[in-house]
Amino acid sequence: MSLEIENLSAGYGAKSVLRDVSIEPIQPGSFVGLIGPNAAGKSTLFKTISGALHPKAGAIHLAGANIVKMGRKRRAQAVAYMPQAYGCNALLSVFEAVLLALKQTSGWRVEADQLNRVSQTLAKLRLSHLADRGISDLSGGQAQMVAVAQALVRSPQLVLLDEPTSALDLHHQLSVLGSVRNEMRAQGTIIIAALHDLNLAAQFCDRLILIREGQVLADGLPEDVLALEALGQTYRVTTSLETTQRGSLFVDATL
Amino acid sequence: MTDVPAETLRLGYSSLTRKRMVTLLAVALCLILSFILDTATGPGGYSLQTIAEVLADPYAHGARLKVIVWDYRIPVALTAVIVGAMLAVSGAQMQTILNNPLAEPFTLGVSAAASFGAALAIVLGVSVIPAIGGLLVTVNSFVFALGTCGIILLATRLKGVGAETMILFGIAIFFTFSALLSLMQYMASEDQLSRIVFWMMGSLSRASWDKIALGALLLAVTIPFALMRTWAMTALRMGEASAESMGVDVARLRIEMLISISLLAATAVSFVGAVGFVGLVGPHIARLLVGEDQRFFLPLSALIGALAMSLTSIISKTVTPGVIYPIGIITALIGVPVFVSIILTTRRERLG
Repeated sequence: MSLEIENLSAGYGAKSVLRDVSIEPIQPGSFVGLIGPNAAGKSTLFKTISGALHPKAGAIHLAGANIVKMGRKRRAQAVAYMPQAYGCNALLSVFEAVLLALKQTSGWRVEADQLNRVSQTLAKLRLSHLADRGISDLSGGQAQMVAVAQALVRSPQLVLLDEPTSALDLHHQLSVLGSVRNEMRAQGTIIIAALHDLNLAAQFCDRLILIREGQVLADGLPEDVLALEALGQTYRVTTSLETTQRGSLFVDATL
Repeated sequence: MTDVPAETLRLGYSSLTRKRMVTLLAVALCLILSFILDTATGPGGYSLQTIAEVLADPYAHGARLKVIVWDYRIPVALTAVIVGAMLAVSGAQMQTILNNPLAEPFTLGVSAAASFGAALAIVLGVSVIPAIGGLLVTVNSFVFALGTCGIILLATRLKGVGAETMILFGIAIFFTFSALLSLMQYMASEDQLSRIVFWMMGSLSRASWDKIALGALLLAVTIPFALMRTWAMTALRMGEASAESMGVDVARLRIEMLISISLLAATAVSFVGAVGFVGLVGPHIARLLVGEDQRFFLPLSALIGALAMSLTSIISKTVTPGVIYPIGIITALIGVPVFVSIILTTRRERLG
């Protein structure tokens, strides 16, 4: 059930974005943070793993099978990718939008247990009260939570979250990441989340992967990766890792 | 925030589904009534009972009434229903794959191309397919409409062409064919000019049983084809990246739908002329009634398009007794205010 990436290269047309990326096996139930500056290749890596972009070389093994060679339907069942920049004007309720995500890889008819799965997913993410609301009427943060629900409802083996908390307030950042982590840990699902907030990454992730210009620069425990001098250089700032009075890690950054 | 039990959510969704089925049935019933009324109205002033008797037994009131009802009124009423459904389905699909509420055969230049094709046949007698005699105008407009859809389809195959580019492309086509149409009108003789103008205004009197059979066959193929892809089409409304991540092959779905749209739009326009608006009104009212779950949205769009066209046909015959107004004029003059008022009054409680 682990995820492993071998010598992955990908890009758009002649332009190469990911260059020979390899990632050591990621264990089931772990929460991995993908960090790095804008345009480092985080979204491209997600697109390649989710199949939206075909790699130029390399392999992605999930539970022993190469995702690159998988059929579209099977891959969508195994991998749930939540794209960045969300927002649409469709006249669909939250319930319908989440059901929709489940129905792409199952039959045409809606079964009672599928309705239950949607209801339970909404309840776990504390979205039940929004079930009848139109998705175009949601706030940015609510829409982001619905997108998370769309990813979780499919019970995938791997969840890719691209900036899942960018539109959320502090309370919801903690509650969404917290419930996603607990849920996935219980199911043994791997989560990879691209995060800009390094302190949030330190708080929730079991492992951090730092990428820059399409290459893996560091990979390890949050306390090790965040302490590296290369971290500051990557973001073109000076960083120092501190521990707060309550024992959490804190990245102090100055220009 | 209070937690809602999962059971309540499930039951809520089931009751919503039932409500939508009732809406579909209610509109279908209205359509049947409108169809009967359509066959009963027209010059001659026969009573509803007389018409009903002729419907049951063609020769109940002699050969004259049999011809009026069975060879003229029923084909016209059926054409209205079928063409209305075709325009609305193609409009609904265009709006979905282009993610634009203004897309329909008329706004994307398909009707303009068809009009040009018809004008070309009327003015120059030029046909793209030789030896078709009386069907020259119909076939020419069909070929031009289909060709336009084909060009839009080819454009989507180019790299980096998204929904927005396709809309702009359609508008460019619209202006090009409008200009060419003006050129044809400028070159036309007085008699030809009146034929072009009459063609463009739209008319159901060009109805025939072969056309009805062809249209019905096309709907019988395209609607089930689209229904099989309803979950993917609904997913597309969440945005391309979302749909793609859910396992939808967006590029392929677009092409499949464009082929269906092309056939429906080109056929409808070549049958009745450049009738705008029905392709817009059907999907929009359907969306307000049942939302965008395509399992309900698509069939309801078809029914409402058919109903709108059928009502138009009735109105075109009853405004001035003895005169049948071109349907294109009716759809715009009466349909637009009705449509606008529906949109303005229902914008609040949309998902109910």
